[in-house]
Amino acid sequence: MAKHMLDSIDKALLNIIQGGFPLKAEPYEELGRMAGVSGDEALFRVRRLVEAGVVRKVGPFFDARKMGSASTLCAVHVPLERIEHVASVVNSRPEVTHNYQRDGVPNLWFTVIAPSKEAIGEVVSDICERAGIRLVHNIPAARMFKVKVDLKVE
Amino acid sequence: MIHDPGDIALIRVLQDEGLFLTARPFHEAAQRLGWSVEEVLARSATLLERGVIRRFGAALTPRNAGFRHNAMVVWDVDDKKAEEAGSALSGHPRVSHCYIRPRFEGFPFNVYTMVHGSSREDLEAVIAELAERAGASRRKALHTLREFKKSSPVYFINYRAEPAGSTTA
Repeated sequence: MAKHMLDSIDKALLNIIQGGFPLKAEPYEELGRMAGVSGDEALFRVRRLVEAGVVRKVGPFFDARKMGSASTLCAVHVPLERIEHVASVVNSRPEVTHNYQRDGVPNLWFTVIAPSKEAIGEVVSDICERAGIRLVHNIPAARMFKVKVDLKVE
Repeated sequence: MIHDPGDIALIRVLQDEGLFLTARPFHEAAQRLGWSVEEVLARSATLLERGVIRRFGAALTPRNAGFRHNAMVVWDVDDKKAEEAGSALSGHPRVSHCYIRPRFEGFPFNVYTMVHGSSREDLEAVIAELAERAGASRRKALHTLREFKKSSPVYFINYRAEPAGSTTA
């Protein structure tokens, strides 16, 4: 769904639910009230935004550390002719939640969430061995300021 | 750390991504758990207050919501000023993620931001605005070329609930 297909009600709903899905027994009624439509229409529109790929997920977002998990960002430089193969090995691990090719060096960046630092180490070793790569930079955050995709849709 | 079997049971139900696309998600969760809806709401609110749940809400796919140009912009900031830079950068509405990370060989950057723009020009303009806040000696924008994976972590996959798990709020 291209941006121009979002009407003003879709945009209002997007801007409301990014920051706060109502913690209420009838949340869509509340969302509808805020966006000026019925609860049924609010639900219909949110489902449509999910189907269109504009919304990736609705629900709770957990703090991995407070859940007792460890998380990190890894970076590795891979020759372009091998990047799809390496990326598929990286993706095969369920502990990997994000995996992006970027320009510059290193060019492959992925995040890992696992129960402990040791478990992350095992995931990274397994990826290195199966993908035939070396020198993965493991750079866990020393400090986290913000993790919130809350982009004003205009 | 989450140890309470009731919390774990609730988290396992809440992370079902289809749940929040039903008309009454917390009723649905209550039904699956055998709890009252009041108990589901109260415990969810407690997890939110404790910061275990950062928020209830929606995550956009930026490129499908009009933000087609995205970059990880990394900044080389004096270690003593990294905290200040992180606070300033994370206050910008087009920055979705901001962290301090260790520098590594060949990569002297310590402050990481994810930055979103509607066009290449818009993205560059946002980065220029950020540069004024960062106080960095140098920066680098690593543009997103391809998304190979983006998913949400799933917690307590292999957890087995005790037969008589407590649900006291």
